[in-house]
Amino acid sequence: MKLSKENILGLIALGTFLLMSLIAPGFLGSNNLTNFLFQLPEFGLLALAMMVVILTGGIDLSITYVAALSGVGAALMLTNGFSILTAVLVAILFGVACGAFNGFVVSKIGVPAILVTLGTMVLFEGVILAITKGNSISGFGDTYSLIGNGYYLGVIPLSFLIFIFFVILTAILLNKTSWGRSIYMFGNNDVATLFSGIKNSRVLMKVYLYVGLLAAISAIIMTSRYNSVKVDLGSAYLLQSVAAAVLGGTNIHGGYGKVMGTVYAVIIFQTISNGLNLLGAHSAIVDVFIGSILIIVLTLNFFSDKFKKKKETQASTA
Amino acid sequence: MKSLLKQKEFSILAIIIVISIILSIVSPAFLTIGNLLDVVEGNVVMGILAIGMTLIIITSDIDVSVAAITTAVAVSVGALFGYLPDSWISLVIIFLIAPIIGLLIGSVNGFLVSKIQIPAIVVTLGTLNIINGLVLYFTNGRYLNSTNFPQAFLSFSNMEILGIPILIFVLAIVAILTWYILKHTFIGRSVMAIGGNQQSSIRVGINYKKAKLFVFAYMGFLCGIAAIAQTAYTKAVDPNGLLGLELMVIAAVVLGGTNIHGGRGTVHGTLLGVLLLALMQNGMILARIDTFWQNVVTGAIIVFAVSYDHISYKRQQEKLAKIEVEA
Repeated sequence: MKLSKENILGLIALGTFLLMSLIAPGFLGSNNLTNFLFQLPEFGLLALAMMVVILTGGIDLSITYVAALSGVGAALMLTNGFSILTAVLVAILFGVACGAFNGFVVSKIGVPAILVTLGTMVLFEGVILAITKGNSISGFGDTYSLIGNGYYLGVIPLSFLIFIFFVILTAILLNKTSWGRSIYMFGNNDVATLFSGIKNSRVLMKVYLYVGLLAAISAIIMTSRYNSVKVDLGSAYLLQSVAAAVLGGTNIHGGYGKVMGTVYAVIIFQTISNGLNLLGAHSAIVDVFIGSILIIVLTLNFFSDKFKKKKETQASTA
Repeated sequence: MKSLLKQKEFSILAIIIVISIILSIVSPAFLTIGNLLDVVEGNVVMGILAIGMTLIIITSDIDVSVAAITTAVAVSVGALFGYLPDSWISLVIIFLIAPIIGLLIGSVNGFLVSKIQIPAIVVTLGTLNIINGLVLYFTNGRYLNSTNFPQAFLSFSNMEILGIPILIFVLAIVAILTWYILKHTFIGRSVMAIGGNQQSSIRVGINYKKAKLFVFAYMGFLCGIAAIAQTAYTKAVDPNGLLGLELMVIAAVVLGGTNIHGGRGTVHGTLLGVLLLALMQNGMILARIDTFWQNVVTGAIIVFAVSYDHISYKRQQEKLAKIEVEA
């Protein structure tokens, strides 16, 4: 039986999970497991969004500030007495608007995504600072906090269900719709895609809008969980989300990547940081582990590819 | 003269002149030699890093670990300070060791990019995480002030030649050295060539792996020098002091006319890019723009500049295509 890249990653995720449950005290405790499930969605949604951009050969460095800005939008509504529904809608509106701005410059003007989002990252950060004056906004009420802290049927965290919904949605959009197919084609060869009659700029624009949406959902979960919002909301997830997408097998030049791969990578990162935390490791060591894993896995990939090629040439000469 | 006007660098220079005129009207404090020297001295670190980043972007790669490497070297130098005697020998030792540490870390990046063929953004993202984590682990985020710095180092950092701070000379030396390498050495020409067209450069026999290894190693070397400059400028070692600087460095390089697709870029263009960002920040302070709005202005200018740059690049490409059709 041959294992796909994603299945191997799934086994690694299972392996790290088992390892941590053996060495980290209290890892399998119900308290920690629910904690684990509560932390996963906010990071998972950002990683999913990053994966979709990377599929097009781009990258979104502004993603965490888009999320923070959406969070500020929701916070402003809530603290001024608007309903939760309005707050959620405004958050999504902010996220999608930021996405539209990125999408416009990337798709219509054609500037490389890394440069555009580098600029908008500073820009959005500035907008948040101008609104919040660097302070945090807090106090959103008990009902709103249910989104990030509540349970469905008293067992499964609500936010985890939201995450699963978006995992499935993203998988369907990527694999079953013509838009999704165009994303993969665009990532592989944008000229060929254009010549096959696909409107490249429209495909790209929708990608950035979708990223804005996912960032906003992540922001809603984060603000609800922490009951406050600040300019650095989720900023630690920026590099981690790129790392998760790449570790999940997404090709950084675009064209290949699977939702499940990213989900497994998110689980691996989450397991490691949660486990190391329980083991009493310095929080900075988690970063060291994540960086090392990224490089080791890609180095192993390189050697296994080389090994495979060698075998193939041997087979063909024999 | 006409070719001078057509140069990309000229348009940045024009923007700088316009900004300078506006600023000197807004604030009489702007156009004083003291203020201008302060602006330049305050951005020596960004300048040194941007010069190294220029080479990397010319080869169409990117390095997001530069601020982390610089911090790592600065922290190592800070740790070393406690053991150094108070004489000029310490200064020599620091100027030898810091670039070597940087060079070693940069070579690891270069090895992974050129030999193992992992995309540069992924490699440097990984090393960024590792280095930052290790630095925070060992320093616990603690700030190190100048009490245990050797006196020789402190007097070096206060030194002025002809009224110009010594750090500006360090930047000038780095700039001239890099310009010379790019223009007059084989490895420098190889760097330009692989950025222009990797396939053809391989076919004419350029060892592109060696060139890639070189740019990352050289970047590390410059990070070592930048670490000395940073320590001398702030007279302290702050493990969090350079957070996010890599993005400003990349922005400066791109503003300076280096093409993100590779093959084009100059040292003087990059220096102009750094100057533009530096003047903008200085100007906003002088013009008393609310600090919270300064990022908005900086971000908007970056977005505008890269868009403008890309539009003119596309026009140029279109022109090229037309000539081919006519011929």
